[in-house]
Amino acid sequence: MNDSYRPNDRHRRPRASNDAGTEGFSDGRLVEVHHQLANDKEEPAEGFALLPVIVVFLFCGFGFWAGLYLTRNSDGFNPGSFDLDAPRALVDNGPKEFEPDPVKGEKLYVTNCAGCHQPTGLGVAAAFPPLAGSPWVAGNEERLLKIIIGGLAGELDYKGTKYNGAMPNVGAGLKDAQIAHIATYVRQAWGNAAGPVTDAKVAEARKAVGARASYSPAEILQAHPLEIK
Amino acid sequence: MSQENQPSRPSGQGRPQGRPADTGSPRISRVDASVASPVKFFFASALLWLLVSSVLAVITAVKLHLPGFLNSCEHLTFGRLDAIQRNVFFYGWASNALIGLNLWLLASLGRFEFRNGWIATLGGLIWNLALTVGIACVLIDSHNAFELLELPRGVALAFFVAFLLAALWPAVAFVRRPTGQVFVSQWYILGASFVLPVVYLLTQLMVLWCPTNGVLQALVHSWFLQNFLLLWLGASALAAVYYFLPKELGTTLTGYYLSTVGFWTLFLFAGWTGPATLLGSPVPLWIQSSGVVAAVMLLIPLTITSINFFGTLSRDSGWTRAWNNTTLRFVAFGLVAYTLAIALQIVFSARSLNAIVRFTSFAAGQQQLLTYAFVSMVIFGAAYYILPRLTGAFWPSAKLVHLHFWSCALAVVVSVAGSLFFGWTQGAALAAAKPFAQTMQPQEALLSSACAVLFLIGHVAFALNAFGMLTTCSSSTEEARQA
Repeated sequence: MNDSYRPNDRHRRPRASNDAGTEGFSDGRLVEVHHQLANDKEEPAEGFALLPVIVVFLFCGFGFWAGLYLTRNSDGFNPGSFDLDAPRALVDNGPKEFEPDPVKGEKLYVTNCAGCHQPTGLGVAAAFPPLAGSPWVAGNEERLLKIIIGGLAGELDYKGTKYNGAMPNVGAGLKDAQIAHIATYVRQAWGNAAGPVTDAKVAEARKAVGARASYSPAEILQAHPLEIK
Repeated sequence: MSQENQPSRPSGQGRPQGRPADTGSPRISRVDASVASPVKFFFASALLWLLVSSVLAVITAVKLHLPGFLNSCEHLTFGRLDAIQRNVFFYGWASNALIGLNLWLLASLGRFEFRNGWIATLGGLIWNLALTVGIACVLIDSHNAFELLELPRGVALAFFVAFLLAALWPAVAFVRRPTGQVFVSQWYILGASFVLPVVYLLTQLMVLWCPTNGVLQALVHSWFLQNFLLLWLGASALAAVYYFLPKELGTTLTGYYLSTVGFWTLFLFAGWTGPATLLGSPVPLWIQSSGVVAAVMLLIPLTITSINFFGTLSRDSGWTRAWNNTTLRFVAFGLVAYTLAIALQIVFSARSLNAIVRFTSFAAGQQQLLTYAFVSMVIFGAAYYILPRLTGAFWPSAKLVHLHFWSCALAVVVSVAGSLFFGWTQGAALAAAKPFAQTMQPQEALLSSACAVLFLIGHVAFALNAFGMLTTCSSSTEEARQA
């Protein structure tokens, strides 16, 4: 609106796109003409009819390449890998510090064990022996792991109560780390105060169990006698 | 960079005129008059800071090969002067000039008359005071160890407030434009004016006020740098290029309808290119890779700006006409530099190439290509166009314009080429496991000193011309008012 104050604006033709005079547009004309251009893509003087198609295909190609590059060069979006050229073995089997986590252990306990041993760890009288305060749990960790992995079937005398159950080999279907979490939780919950269990220990115990599907209490006690009655 | 223009330059008419092409009479339009005082303030302070920065650049360049030079007191040691020089250049020169330029462009394109221009001037006053205080603090005490965040934390708040005051008007000018039409320059300016405060504030928070842990700090800092360079300086300068090309050539932009895509893709990808500058550092691999992808995707805005700019310039003997026009000569130089800078950034985000130049002066050369050969040259061109319209006066001396262009163009070409070349050879020598001391080239320091002196000559020529005009104008407008 104020452009009329510029001396050159009065005699400018409305369609300024093709006049190549030495003077430029007025600001108002500049905006207006380009606004028309943006909405009206058929600019007759261009001679670039194929351009939009080429541009679209080119940009789709860039997008395709970007996806490929990102998936190939980011190591599965692993937040712990930093170097593309690091040896694979270092990244995959590098020293990983395992930390048994009682919180994960509790969740796993609730889904896998609490059905018999109860969330309270007190078991069910004469059917399922308690875990709370039990020397079977708090003592030798290998005994505990063997029972979890191998199962326990047969008559058992605990604090004057006879139990005759058959614990299935629950651990056979779990991963080493999961068993380590469960064992750590069980050893530290309900007033138990034994040390944590690592996944390496679980792997050892699994090897010792081998293909066995069940232990009897006598066998277990022979291999790992209870530390305290 | 400018060579390609040279052969086509017809003899006799190749002189840039010391005056704007289309103002026969030094009459100031109403819109220009309404923004004149803040824009003049921003340009004048930018110019002063530019002189300070070029003097400091000479001192630091000399220090690189004469380490004993001005080393008697701790305030003049290389580390402090270098940090100050960088901040003066980016916050004093480039940012001041771009705030003024953006203000003027939005007012002109929106045909908007400012009522309360003093608020923008107040913002400028706060901005420059804060910068002065910050520099004094660095000089006396010490600075933060992050590039472009060296100034004390308090300065950042003042910058933020000042920018809001100064950039409020561009937003107002845009919202209250009389027609619903929008030109591409307006998008770029609004985008840039939005990016700077947000990114600056977030970075200050995450790096200085409540520092994040470990590597995240470096990541945020690289994000800030790329945003600052590409989306604040770069986008603002692109806005000016988009304006001056059609304006001065009198033609429409080629493939204008593509510029929307160029705008959005630049703003989408440029901010993500930060991690590409951190390749090889202990940043998670996927972040590095997304940085590389973002850098390569800059091909899209680069293609579009190339179609827009070079398409426009190659029609109707546009290159020749650009060469004969003071403003366009600088602007065309700048946009060739922009294209080269982005192309280099794309190519050298490739992991194998990046590994060679990673710790050398190559990156400095790339940064100079973008911030000086592109941004500063465009600002110069814009100043040659705007200042006469604000002051109603002509540039006092065409010879000084010539001196300015040639010394700056020569200096920046030699300086950038030197940094890139020596960076590459040093990187190659380091890759061949040569000891570090043997990879250093003394010629590099000599070359950069020579360039610093050339820059200083060019800037003094520009400042003489500009201040000559600003002072004559104030007297002539007084007369005009009385008459």
